[in-house]
Amino acid sequence: MADENDNERMDDNQKSDKMFTLKKWNAVAMWSWDVECDTCAICRVQVMDACLRCQAESKKDSYGKQDCVVVWGECNHSFHYCCMSLWVKQNNRCPLCQQEWSIQRMGK
Amino acid sequence: MITLSQRLKRKNQNEDTSTPNRAPIRDRLLVKEAQEMSQLLPVSCSIHYTNENDLSKFTLIVQPTEGYWEGGTFRFDINVTEEYNMVPPIVKCSTKLWHPNISENGEVCLSLLRRHSVDGMGWSPIRRLNDVVWGLHALFTDLLNFEDPLNVEAADQFRHSKEDFKLKVMEYVANYARE
Repeated sequence: MADENDNERMDDNQKSDKMFTLKKWNAVAMWSWDVECDTCAICRVQVMDACLRCQAESKKDSYGKQDCVVVWGECNHSFHYCCMSLWVKQNNRCPLCQQEWSIQRMGK
Repeated sequence: MITLSQRLKRKNQNEDTSTPNRAPIRDRLLVKEAQEMSQLLPVSCSIHYTNENDLSKFTLIVQPTEGYWEGGTFRFDINVTEEYNMVPPIVKCSTKLWHPNISENGEVCLSLLRRHSVDGMGWSPIRRLNDVVWGLHALFTDLLNFEDPLNVEAADQFRHSKEDFKLKVMEYVANYARE
């Protein structure tokens, strides 16, 4: 036990003549939306942004906000509602997993 | 009296109303996809644009380095319509060839290019031009399919005599698919 304490004391002494001092550091954080797929596989734009078509037409609702919502299927895949409504007209399956498409929820 | 400014004004108005709905979407997708396609192109393939300002019409040239069609040069005319990517591109083979999955008229049988699919194997908007190019390229190797033929005669011939089939393929290559 005594030996160990001596070692610790020696470490303390060594620390006093340190070669570097950290003066400043910048933390960097990353974030992403908490969804299974954050990019709409149909138009390849982030689901939380307006879809390619709405961007091109710069469609706005009466409040001046872009009115392009996200739709989640029972399979948990998400797309822009605009993109998906075009696709289901010709094939009522999820483009990603080919399951029968049924809407679980909509919104942002 | 008709003045030039009036004519121009009228012309602009007409253009505004006749602009198709989907074309801007297709063009935006094409900018990214054309670049991706040329970067990931198989070594035996090349892409040629009829008009460099129009990314929606191009020719894919496949020069297989193995298999029955080795030594041939096969051209596929690809037309990406305004409804892309809700519908697949229209593909026609403009080189006459003897192949179970491509008719002598140039119709191509590739599941990816089927607009309406019952089995979930057809077109899906998550597909890209790159997938189409690799699919066509693979028709000469991995995706060559004698079981579900478009050119039934070619498939039957293969079943009866692989040698006869091989000879006919080579004859077609010599006559129609030289560079």
